[in-house]
Amino acid sequence: MFNIVVCIKQVPMVTELPWDEKTGTLKREAAAGMMNPACKHAIEAALQLRELYGASITVMTMGPPSAEEVLREAIAMGANRGVLICDRLLAGSDTYATSFALGRAVKKEIPDHDLILCGAYTSDSETAQVGPQLAEELNIPAAAYAEHIDISGRTMRVRRLVDNFRETLEMDFPALVTVSMERYKPRYVSFAGLSRSFDGADIRELNAQDLGMMSADLDACGSRTRVRRVFIRKTAKENVRITGAAAVAAAEFLDRYQRSISAVIGRAIEAKKQI
Amino acid sequence: MQFNPCMKHKLIRASARHFAETELAPIAAEIDQHRIFPRDVIARMRQLNYFGLQVPAHYGGAALDSISAAIVVEELSRVCAAIGLCVTVHNGVAVYPFLQFADDRQKEKYLFRLASGEDIGAFSLTEANAGSDAGSVETTAVRNGGSYILNGTKIFVTNGGVCNIALIFALTSLPDAKLQSSVFIVEDGFEGFLRGELEDLCGMRANPVSSLFFEDCRVPEENLLGKPGDGMKIGLSTLDNGRIGVAAQALGIAQGAMEASVKYARERQQFKKPIASQQTIQNYIADMATETMAARLMLYRACELKDAGAPFGCEASMAKLYCSSVASKVTSLAVQIHGGYGYSKEYDVERYFRDAKVTEIYEGTSEIQRMVIARSILSQPIL
Repeated sequence: MFNIVVCIKQVPMVTELPWDEKTGTLKREAAAGMMNPACKHAIEAALQLRELYGASITVMTMGPPSAEEVLREAIAMGANRGVLICDRLLAGSDTYATSFALGRAVKKEIPDHDLILCGAYTSDSETAQVGPQLAEELNIPAAAYAEHIDISGRTMRVRRLVDNFRETLEMDFPALVTVSMERYKPRYVSFAGLSRSFDGADIRELNAQDLGMMSADLDACGSRTRVRRVFIRKTAKENVRITGAAAVAAAEFLDRYQRSISAVIGRAIEAKKQI
Repeated sequence: MQFNPCMKHKLIRASARHFAETELAPIAAEIDQHRIFPRDVIARMRQLNYFGLQVPAHYGGAALDSISAAIVVEELSRVCAAIGLCVTVHNGVAVYPFLQFADDRQKEKYLFRLASGEDIGAFSLTEANAGSDAGSVETTAVRNGGSYILNGTKIFVTNGGVCNIALIFALTSLPDAKLQSSVFIVEDGFEGFLRGELEDLCGMRANPVSSLFFEDCRVPEENLLGKPGDGMKIGLSTLDNGRIGVAAQALGIAQGAMEASVKYARERQQFKKPIASQQTIQNYIADMATETMAARLMLYRACELKDAGAPFGCEASMAKLYCSSVASKVTSLAVQIHGGYGYSKEYDVERYFRDAKVTEIYEGTSEIQRMVIARSILSQPIL
C-alpha cells in the first residue's frame, strides 16, 4: 500500500482582495476561506490512485486555525487523515519558508511517503513554486502540471502538457507531482463524508517547535523573498490630435512615436526629410 | 447561544451550494418551464446523501443535525426550489415518520431504500375535502384478514409522480367503533395504487405533484405505521418537522431573489447611473436583506430546539409563517427591482416569484400557522 501525502491550501473565496500596503501581502482576513481549486484536483488524483493501487492518504496544510476547514473537506472527500501546521510564527512565510516547513512536517509525520501530490498552483498567489520547492527540500524527483499518473511497481509515469508538447516522464518513488486542473475532476463531497470528517477524524496539529524549526528558519528570517511594493497597474487611453501641414504633422508624429514604433516592429526607423 | 456558523455548517453550505450551482443552475429555468423531473441530477444527488440527510449512518444516511439539513434545503432552493421541495418533502415528511414511529422491521425494510434515494418518498394527507381540516380525511382502510383495503383519492401529492413509497392517511374503525385516521406505508406496485396526471401548477413546476388513487388497494397490516388511530399524532408531529423544511425552502428562495436583485441593481443603468444608487432601490434591498436575515435566525432557532429534544412545534410554525411571508415579499420586490425584465422568463426572479407563493400555502397555510402559534401562546401559564 502506498503512502500518499497531498499538500493543500486554504485560499480566499474572492479573487480581488485588498493588499496590505505595508507588508505587501494580501489581507486574507477580508474574505471567507475555501480550498484552493487546484488542490481539489490533487486530492482527486490521490483518491483515484488509491482506488487503483491501494493507498493511505494524508492531507497536509499550513495556515491559520481556520485552515482546519480544508483538511475536514479533504477527509470528507475521502482522505484518511490530516495534518495542520499552525503557528503565528509561520505567518507571512513565502514559498521557500512554506516548503521548508512542509518538508519538515512530511519527514516527521510521514517519513515513509511514496508520493506527494500538490495542486499545480494556488488561486491567490499563483506562484506554482511550493510543490517543486518541497521536492527540493525532500531531495526527491518532481514533475509539475501532471495530467495523468500511472504506477507500476515503484515506478511512476507522469503525462503532462507543456508548451503544447505532451511528454511522459518516468520516475521512481518517492516523488512529488503537481496536478494540473485539466484532468482529475474533483468529486462532490457527500454529506455522510462531511459528517464523518467532523466525527472523530484524525487531524494532528503541529507548531513550529514540533517541527524543530529554529527562529532563524522562521517567519521573515526563513523567507528568502521580500515584497518591496505592491501596486495596481493603471492604463489609460489618450487621444492625441496632430494638426498642421502634412510634412509638419508627419515630422511631429515621428518625433513623438518613432521609438514606440521601432520597438513594436523591431527595427529602427528614421525620418527622411525631403527638401 | 451561537450566532455564527460553525465550521461544519460552513462546509455543508459550501458543498450544497457548489452542487446546486453546478448541476441545477444550468437547468432550473428549463425544468420549470417544461415540468421536467431531472432524473440524472437526482441520480447524482443519491450518491451524495441528499435523500438521507438526517438518517443515522447505520441505515446509510448522513446523520446531519437539523441546522445542516435546513442549510442543504436552503441552498438547493436558492437555485431551484422545485428540487429543494423534492428533497425536503422526502426527508422532512416521508423519512422523518419512519425515524419517529416505525418499528424495527419497518426501519430495516424501508430506511435503507429511502436514505439511499433508491426510493423517493411522499406524504399524503390532503384530499379534495381535507386540507387545513386534516380531520376530514375520507380515504378508508378496512381490515380484511391480514391486510387493510384502502379506498380513496389523495390530491396535490408532492413527489406523487415519482414516489416509490407513500405514507397514506386513511380512516380505520377502532374496536370501540370510532373512526380514526391511521397511516399506511404504501409501495409503488401494490395492486390498486394508481397515480393521476401531473398537476400544472403556478410554481414548483419541476416537482411531479400529482393525485394518488386507491382502488381496493391491499396493504399488508405490517405496513401500518404506529398503532391504529395514530394518524393525527403522526400527522401533527410530522408536519411540525415538515414546516422547518418549508421554512428552509422559503428562506432559500428569498436569498436567491435577493442576490439576483443586488446583482441586477448594480448593473442596470437608468438616468446614467446604476439603479442601486437610487435610494428607493437601496431601501428595498435593505428590507430584503434584513428580513431574510431575521428569517434565517428564526429558522435555525427552531432547528436548535428540535436537536435539543425540546418542543419545537410553535417555533417551527413561527419560522414557517415568517420565512414564507418573507419569501413572498422579497420575491415580489425582486420582480419590482428588475422591472419589466423581472416579469419575463428571461430572468430567474420571475420563477422565484411563482415558487415563493406556495410556501405560504402548503404544509399548513399561514392562517393555520397563526392558529397553531396562538394556541401555543395562549395555552402557556400566565406569569
